Amino acid sequence: MTPRFDELIHPATRLSVVAILAAVDWADFAFVRDELGLSDSALSKQLAILENAGYVTLERPVTDRRRRVRAALTPAGRAAFEGHVAALDEIVNRATAAT
Amino acid sequence: MTNDVSEARAALLDVERRQRRVIDEIDVPPWYWWLLAGGWVVLGVLAELAPAAASIAATLVFGAVHAAIAPRVLSGQHRSRRLSVRRDLVDRRLPLYVFTGMIALVAVTLGVALVLDADGAGHPSIIAAAFVAVIIVIGGPRLTAAVRRRSMGGS
Repeated sequence: MTPRFDELIHPATRLSVVAILAAVDWADFAFVRDELGLSDSALSKQLAILENAGYVTLERPVTDRRRRVRAALTPAGRAAFEGHVAALDEIVNRATAAT
Repeated sequence: MTNDVSEARAALLDVERRQRRVIDEIDVPPWYWWLLAGGWVVLGVLAELAPAAASIAATLVFGAVHAAIAPRVLSGQHRSRRLSVRRDLVDRRLPLYVFTGMIALVAVTLGVALVLDADGAGHPSIIAAAFVAVIIVIGGPRLTAAVRRRSMGGS
């Protein structure tokens, strides 16, 4: 994977959201919210930013008569995440090699 | 530069921690190991105290129940209601490891029971089964943790 620092993903909360979504096919909104200790509105805001960038899709399947929201990374989001992690690795490795 | 490096290092640690939590969500539940260990002890007790037919019947029932439960619990493909973990993060060989481990534990149980019996100990089957049950309860979660670490490393 080519290292590519992604400013959109880098903020800590957004990176945590994307890291969770990178490990799943999809995750419930509530799972991500609980894992990160965010409010509904704070997570909605982060997901909206990622959705607008084309990194995340949001689905609303009806199960158990309740409306739930599922979030998933798009291929573009996954590529951006992997490129960003590779860029972070490169920063750490370069510093390690320099010492 | 120092800030960049420490920030990058912290970000990578956070990524790893978040992904590990996701894998934990579909981990083999502790009750599975306790059920397996409990069944082992019950079979040990029956082998010692019950007629052979009852012991054989119980072994078959235990095998059938385990065969029904294990694939779902061990495959990692059982879905949490809250997420679906990517297939490539789940080591699909875990059921094979557990099955192989169970065969080894049967051999250990028989071996320990034979040694205890030769040594003149009372209730060798029960003691051997209890010994192996402890191995299951302690070793089972360690086995899955090791497999999980390897899956994460390869992702």
